[in-house]
Amino acid sequence: MWFLPVLIRNLLKGPSTEAFPFGEAMTPKKMRARIAFDPESCALCRVCARICPAGAIQFEKRPDGLEFNLWHNSCVFCGLCTLYCESEGLHATGDWHLSHPQSEKYDLVEKATVKFQKCSKCGKQKMPAPLPLMAKLYPGLSADEIERLRAMCPQCRKAETAPQDGGTQ
Amino acid sequence: MSDSLSLLFAVLVFPGGLFALVLGLAIKGVDRRVAARLQRRVGPPLLQPFFDLIKLSRKETMVPAQASAFIFRWVPLVGLSAMALAAAMIPINGVYQPSTELGDLLALFYLLAVPAVVLMLAGSASGSPFGAIGFSREMAIMLAYEGPVLLALLSVAIRVGVGEGHLISLSLSDIVAYQIAHGPFLLDPWMWPALLTFLCFFPANLGVLPFDIPEAETEVLEGPLLEYSGPSLGLFKMMSAVKCVVVLGLGITLFLPGGPDGIAGLLVFAVKCTVLAVLGVTVVRTAMGRMRIDQAFYFFLKWPAALGIASLVIVLARS
Amino acid sequence: MNAQNPSLLSRLSSKSPWLYRINAGSCNGCDVELATTAIIPRYDVERLGCQYCGSPKHADIVLITGPLTIRVKDKVLRLYEEIPDPKVTVAVGVCPISGGVFRDSYAIAGPLDNFIPVDINIPGCPPRPQAIIEGIAKAIAIWQSRI
Repeated sequence: MWFLPVLIRNLLKGPSTEAFPFGEAMTPKKMRARIAFDPESCALCRVCARICPAGAIQFEKRPDGLEFNLWHNSCVFCGLCTLYCESEGLHATGDWHLSHPQSEKYDLVEKATVKFQKCSKCGKQKMPAPLPLMAKLYPGLSADEIERLRAMCPQCRKAETAPQDGGTQ
Repeated sequence: MSDSLSLLFAVLVFPGGLFALVLGLAIKGVDRRVAARLQRRVGPPLLQPFFDLIKLSRKETMVPAQASAFIFRWVPLVGLSAMALAAAMIPINGVYQPSTELGDLLALFYLLAVPAVVLMLAGSASGSPFGAIGFSREMAIMLAYEGPVLLALLSVAIRVGVGEGHLISLSLSDIVAYQIAHGPFLLDPWMWPALLTFLCFFPANLGVLPFDIPEAETEVLEGPLLEYSGPSLGLFKMMSAVKCVVVLGLGITLFLPGGPDGIAGLLVFAVKCTVLAVLGVTVVRTAMGRMRIDQAFYFFLKWPAALGIASLVIVLARS
Repeated sequence: MNAQNPSLLSRLSSKSPWLYRINAGSCNGCDVELATTAIIPRYDVERLGCQYCGSPKHADIVLITGPLTIRVKDKVLRLYEEIPDPKVTVAVGVCPISGGVFRDSYAIAGPLDNFIPVDINIPGCPPRPQAIIEGIAKAIAIWQSRI
């Protein structure tokens, strides 16, 4: 008979069902779902492709850069890529509306081409140096200074930032 | 001629067949809805059992290669027609009185065993090992509950019979008339053991928790119904809906008959059936888990049997 | 029957899709999420008229989890054949869709759509219950055009 109070309480409290298919669903703030890629913040280090346990991330060679491919149908939302991406180009979003008909199976790809750049000093082709990464590398420098360094290749940048007079920077 | 016509009408349209089917499906819809509410869910629409039937009628029927096709195809129809006939035996006070040769308690009791036999046949004819397990379980639980329930029915029959001056009265109309004259047995504490026995019989006969052991979908994959699909499965669903009305109607006839004439009487009957279904089936199945077959067997031979014997002794002692 | 204007019977029938789960070598994560859609009051898939049934012969929408391991492949194909037509197939989780973390393993025969015509994919590892319900709702729309 112990179950009767529980049942009566359940009846009185009413259903606790979400409205979801007919209304909005609750999404936790920190939920990891679809991974979003920002080509502006990619340093083309390709750690994400190496670290991805499901092999969802691949880079392909293009004439002017590398094409980033993330197939959501393989991604397991582990979040390793967002953790290892030092330049903060990968973010987990809360968008879980991923179900799709079979005809769209191979369209569910996050795709962007990250272009190589030309060094502003020596003119050689170089990997991009995104702002968040540079801000971590050169803390304390002004925004203009960082912009100037970003446009250079690593060699030129090293030469530029090395102390010229033998003292400490 | 008109007698046989009215009998046909009683079996096929009202109160058997069509009426019992619609009422049974509606009760099942209410049952699912209330069960969902008791679990704090929203639950399916009230007409869900009707949708299920329509859907099943449009699906493909598959007959397994190792099944004996004749029995497999026709046995659900046997069950459904037996239940339609049984539904024609239930008196609805003020609306419908079964003819004397129809309204017999023992005949109704034996007809109520037909669905179980049909399930056994279906299970063994399907040629599936799960069907065979369901068959043996159905048989075991049927053996366990038939005895105690017979005791309860007998105590009601003897009570009415002695009240009317002869030893035993098996006519359902007499039972109804006696209770209308002397008050329903529901309000008579001396009849409560019989009522309790009958309440234990409900879930077992209707095949719901905690006694859905033969059809346990998580253990034996719905047992005898495993190989059925499409329209023949729909026949089984119809059979169980009509059986629901028969068993509930029997309970009402035995313990709480009476009601106004005409359409109001029909409504009262339907409401009584629904309330009994909610209290006797829905609440029980929401609150309890499935028993093992041996537990159920011992349970029926212990408590309902004891209650049945007690009720018989009480009735005999007080007469 | 055209998909735009289903008949009344089709529309009524589509309110009663019975679900059947096949575990094609899944890690059980997706199966747990499927169970939550039925058991946990918060999700309650029964609102759509769905009902998890025990037998493949009763199923309308079949939900397949797992990467289709080689050992289980023949059994899954047999079970799939036992489901009466018309039926809708839903691949739940990334494993049946692409292989997920098990892709390129020697023990995997998948992806599933090499063997079974899949209609709806629900990616995720596992997909959250709401995502599954969303996928089932899409599957019901397809099923309405078939029955």
